[in-house]
Amino acid sequence: MVVVWDWPLRLFHWTLAASLLIAWFTPNIYDTVHRIAGYTVLGLIAFRLIWGFAGTRYSRFRSFIRFLRAAPGFLWGLGHGRTGRYLGLNPAGAAMSVTLLVLLAISTISGWMQVTVRFFGVAWVEDLHTYSSDLAMILVVVHVLGVLTMCVLQRENLVRAMITGRKRDRGD
Amino acid sequence: MKALIKASMVVGVSLSVFGAVPVWADGFKDCTKLDKASWKPASEAEAKAKSLGYEVRRSKIEGSCYEVYGVKEGKLFELFYSPEDLSLKKTIAK
Repeated sequence: MVVVWDWPLRLFHWTLAASLLIAWFTPNIYDTVHRIAGYTVLGLIAFRLIWGFAGTRYSRFRSFIRFLRAAPGFLWGLGHGRTGRYLGLNPAGAAMSVTLLVLLAISTISGWMQVTVRFFGVAWVEDLHTYSSDLAMILVVVHVLGVLTMCVLQRENLVRAMITGRKRDRGD
Repeated sequence: MKALIKASMVVGVSLSVFGAVPVWADGFKDCTKLDKASWKPASEAEAKAKSLGYEVRRSKIEGSCYEVYGVKEGKLFELFYSPEDLSLKKTIAK
């Protein structure tokens, strides 16, 4: 077993997951809770950007750009039963990670704008917040399904890996 | 392929569950049972908010209410008016 996910990354991941779940169930009625969840997400995104440069090997963005280019080919191969094993994120995982971070940045910033005097009641800000949040939640579902699919294909508990940080050593 | 169909079914089910949530997670929305055709115009609800000293940003229909976005002394408010008699049903400070 090798350590793949460092502990700040794991803490980031699960805090983000919890915050998103809370934010999803609290708009309009539980305003305060919704806002705290949103600001937490914004803070987590900021942390992730720093950690993309300062973190350990598999937390860094360095490999992301190469992976983003490889993502379509990876998904095509996956559809034909060829996966390949990656210790860190696979190309589809990297693409999902970047897309979610961008979407959540849009969602949290537009949500925060909604409650400023300058942008209060402005329709496009409201719509942007709604649609970016909805899309992010759809992607979260796709992310979970993708992870579960890889769990089955690689016969490896990836959920546990995100808790303990450890994964089986290299080799298929 | 089978797994793909299964996966898309799970996505479909999750989406309908998730999509259904905002229906009950929504805010204030019941103001009148009156038929929409006999509602008073939204501009009158906006005018009432203005007369209370709010700077009106916009209004929209929320359920059976007129929701007016008002700013007063740098604070944000959502005012819910009944389209039936333009009575103020609820004021929510944002």
